[in-house]
Amino acid sequence: MEESLLEKMGWKKYIGMETVKTGEPVLARDIRRFALAIDDPNPIYYGEEAAKKGRYGKLAAPPGFICWATQEPWMEKRYEDLGEDGLLYFLGVPEIPNAWDLGWVRAGEEYEFFKPVFAGDRVSVNLKVVDMYEKQGRSGQLIFTTSIATYTNQDGDLLATQKITMIATPRKEG
Amino acid sequence: MSAQVYFDDIAEGEQIPSLKKPVTTVNILMYLGVVWLLDRIHFDYPFATERRGLPDIVAPGNMAVDFFAQFLTDWAGDKGALRKLSTQYRSFMVPGKTLECIGKITRKYREEGTGFAELDLTLQNDEGTTCVLGKALVELPIK
Repeated sequence: MEESLLEKMGWKKYIGMETVKTGEPVLARDIRRFALAIDDPNPIYYGEEAAKKGRYGKLAAPPGFICWATQEPWMEKRYEDLGEDGLLYFLGVPEIPNAWDLGWVRAGEEYEFFKPVFAGDRVSVNLKVVDMYEKQGRSGQLIFTTSIATYTNQDGDLLATQKITMIATPRKEG
Repeated sequence: MSAQVYFDDIAEGEQIPSLKKPVTTVNILMYLGVVWLLDRIHFDYPFATERRGLPDIVAPGNMAVDFFAQFLTDWAGDKGALRKLSTQYRSFMVPGKTLECIGKITRKYREEGTGFAELDLTLQNDEGTTCVLGKALVELPIK
């Protein structure tokens, strides 16, 4: 019997861990550039005037923007502080030790949207690690982690929930 | 933008108008810069291929969420809304290929005066490879 990878990493104790982050106010420019980056030409993302004609009557971000709206200044590192992979922080299970000793891929996610992010909003996220388990894959042991991100605005309104499943495997160095 | 779609006019089993999304290194670069994502596999070709064994640089998985979200909010129109969206990542999205968002209505139902449509989603490249599978719940206006 192979040693449990999850035991070896000592990560089981992080199941149930919650972290809370609050982003800086969202700018109209953040929304516009995000729309440009995903190449969504809908005029409602490019200015207040056009946004007035949309469902919400004011400048709202595209749905997928929400997971970027909660970034805090500490997440922006200098070049010399980036790891070899260029990784800044870990979305699935923040601040667990040696996360980058393994290779990670995103397996899937489930969003539920309740309200959009508007220009000027400060978005907070509560990220909870809900499960970690192992499976034997074709190429070795896999660790699955599931976390749930709950997004709220400055008024405490629920904006969205996001369940994220990530898979970690021992790295095969090339 | 196309004309508003109404709950009354859709049927289970129908496919909704597809959306093509070209993915180039420039699209990926714009995304990385805007969201401040610096993972080397997304922009450094030798690192991605030689060190991490990937076929090319790969687009961030999040971009698939955004492509599906555009696809569905375009369809839902100003009077509709995207309520739920799930994705399952199957193959890496690499630059130089055009991705197509495909959606099929699997169920329609009314709840408290609002129309809802459930859809099965596929994001495939122009070689027919499925990159991402998804499911969605979209709110639609009733006439």
